[in-house]
Amino acid sequence: MLQFKLVLLGDSSVGKSSIVHRFVKDTFDELRESTIGAAFLSQTIKVESEDQQEVVIKFEIWDTAGQERYKSLAPMYYRNANAALVVYDVTQEDSLNKAKAWVEELKNKVGDEDLVIFLVGNKVDLCEGSDNEDKRAVAATLAKQYAEDQGLMFDEVSAKTGHGVKEVFQAIGQRLYDTKKEELATRQRGNGNDGQVDINVPRPSTNDTTGCCS
Amino acid sequence: MKSWKISGSPHKGQAAGGATGGIAARSSSADGNFDAMSKQQAAAISGPRKQHSALQGYSPLRYMPPSRSASNDSNALLKQSRRSSHSNNRPTGGANAGHSASTTSFTTDGSGKYFQDLDEDWSAVIDDYNMPIPVYLNGGSAGTADSLSRASTHSYPQLPNLTGTGSGSRGTPGPAVVPETRTPTEIAQERDVQELNSMMARITKFNALLSSKHILNVKELRQLSWNGIPKPNRPKVWKLLIGYLPANTKRHESFLQRKRKEYRDGITHTFDEQNHQRDIPTWHQIEIDLPRTNPSIPLYQFKSVQHSLQKILYLWAIRHPASGYVQGINDLVTPFYQIFLTEYLPASQIDEVANRDPAMYMSEEQTVQLEADTFWCLTKLLEQITDNYIHGQPGILKQVKNLSQLVKRIDADLYDHFTNEHVEFIQFAFRWMNCLLMREFEMDVVIRMWDTYLAETSQDSSVGGATTGASAGADLSAPTTPAQRTVSTFQTPPSKIRTEATVGASPSSPLSVRSFSATTAVTKTTASGAGSDDASGTRQSSSLNEFHVFVCAAFLIKWSDQLCGMDFQEIITFLQNPPTKDWRESDIEMLLSEAYIWQSLYKDATSHWL
Repeated sequence: MLQFKLVLLGDSSVGKSSIVHRFVKDTFDELRESTIGAAFLSQTIKVESEDQQEVVIKFEIWDTAGQERYKSLAPMYYRNANAALVVYDVTQEDSLNKAKAWVEELKNKVGDEDLVIFLVGNKVDLCEGSDNEDKRAVAATLAKQYAEDQGLMFDEVSAKTGHGVKEVFQAIGQRLYDTKKEELATRQRGNGNDGQVDINVPRPSTNDTTGCCS
Repeated sequence: MKSWKISGSPHKGQAAGGATGGIAARSSSADGNFDAMSKQQAAAISGPRKQHSALQGYSPLRYMPPSRSASNDSNALLKQSRRSSHSNNRPTGGANAGHSASTTSFTTDGSGKYFQDLDEDWSAVIDDYNMPIPVYLNGGSAGTADSLSRASTHSYPQLPNLTGTGSGSRGTPGPAVVPETRTPTEIAQERDVQELNSMMARITKFNALLSSKHILNVKELRQLSWNGIPKPNRPKVWKLLIGYLPANTKRHESFLQRKRKEYRDGITHTFDEQNHQRDIPTWHQIEIDLPRTNPSIPLYQFKSVQHSLQKILYLWAIRHPASGYVQGINDLVTPFYQIFLTEYLPASQIDEVANRDPAMYMSEEQTVQLEADTFWCLTKLLEQITDNYIHGQPGILKQVKNLSQLVKRIDADLYDHFTNEHVEFIQFAFRWMNCLLMREFEMDVVIRMWDTYLAETSQDSSVGGATTGASAGADLSAPTTPAQRTVSTFQTPPSKIRTEATVGASPSSPLSVRSFSATTAVTKTTASGAGSDDASGTRQSSSLNEFHVFVCAAFLIKWSDQLCGMDFQEIITFLQNPPTKDWRESDIEMLLSEAYIWQSLYKDATSHWL
């Protein structure tokens, strides 16, 4: 089994926790208490290797708090992340700006060249149907263009209906597998393991100061 | 049950039997360490003990004698304990532990007595001096000579219900041994009667205190409140404890008028678009947080309630720019709001407060009063924990660090396990600090917890860090927080403690540090004269935040056995959703008592760790 660490970032109330809960538990609560600090969840998926074999991937997910005051905690959680889900609310224009700021920060602060950043526009259910089109504040094309410019993955989802949520994680899993497999192959040859390779052999530390994990 | 490494006890594991914990501890030689105490504590909470109690129609939480009375008959002891301000008779666990300690200190041979006493007194008594109910020694703790004599000399008021109902033997105060042949119904009835009586007695006490015509004795009120406040008294008592209402009852009316006007003016000014530029981000943040505040309680879904809370939180935020609105403050405002709301409901409907729309029974004027009271009490509370919400949240980081250091010393096994699993305290404890554990418990439990927390608040504004200065000087009495506990709890002769420290598993045991401070503290208090209430020397370190860390430690350690068998993911998941749904008041009372004990033991040592 491969383990990857994933972090969710984004403005307050854009639906980070709801996306995770949709992915992990396949549930949705209209009213979910604000996240304080960060919340941890995990989920496994299966991806396909090039020889059509199923590979199990486990996501360790840190769902961070969105409010500005908690921003100083975020590095703890994204520092060793393999992937970041940067979420905005398609009905709140400013939330895309916040998302862009997170992307900037990730690019500046995370050394990992292979960090997968996925830009996610949430709450598309709110602007479905011709009656609600005016509720959309961020055009999909605009966000998509930005994502392409920055080399990010991009999609729009609805945590409420579940639309697109699983696909986002699936795509991240596949991308991580594809980028890591060479590294894996090398390691596998090295230790003659039976395929039970854990990329993050030591658990990624979330503590900035100690960096206890070797 | 795991062993407690802190003092490397010779009677490791003896208390493991739950119900037999007390006996095990008693029979072991009292070498003065606190190992057995922690075990007993665990034993007392564990299932077997409870079950046991229920079977005997005896609740360790209810029917133990007040420790003050307990020491009444032991003449010399009383004086001694008075001298060390022990007579303030603090919250159950601690006061009792203190009593035990003092017993030890005057019993030179010491052996046996320490734990004997400890077991009798502290095992689980939550309501001490508010429980004018004679002890029944049928609770499985076979009556020792000591407890027999104490029980027989109690001078509680005779309660008619007790003597009048049920079989005779049980109505008599004193060492009556209740026959085990009682039916479960009888037992339940008796328990109900006793609970009712103790409740009535509590209410009477509170009413007597609150009806003072001049200066309220807030200090006594704090002591009384630590063990829980009767529902009808709660709004007023909370306002007194937090330091909103002055102790001088004559000033109450004019004071409230003034503060409510101040609030009204503040709101008028703030929401006057011409004078005030609305802080849109703050307003928006509060707006999106309110619908998801206490989402399971209907009260908070009413528009009227959200509107009131929004005004309160926004006004607080713009008046405290260093902090501003931080998520979690929306949680902290709700107990005040909900409790003060009960003042506007008929007594019979208080329990309905969480389900009814205030707009249906409150006038506009009353709504402003309620908002004002809530606003000022929130302000007072946040004054004490300002550091939690300013930039970088240093208060929280410090508390999380203190918690980890505390657990390292109290429960090294758990700490080591966390280290091995790469669990970091901040991963689960941040929220505990940020919301004062409110997210971990149901509202009724939180409210009971706040009785104690507010009793722990200090009215010494220097404790709380930055204060606004608003409404300062309102308190005539500046009541002391019961911080004298350190003094009262460490009467054990220093030499004894030192021995213990050398026995201790950890070479850097904080006990040695403590023995020093305990000695000085005792000397100091003795010098200041018998019966002195002067606590100024020990007060400054006491604060709500500090006590809260001990509560968090007790909370974490409660799950120690389970946690030690879990991996990283299981641990974090468990601690994010601890199984507290079924917790009742008695559970939180137990937790608070445990925290009190830990604080008594480690209070002075904490400052040396960091």
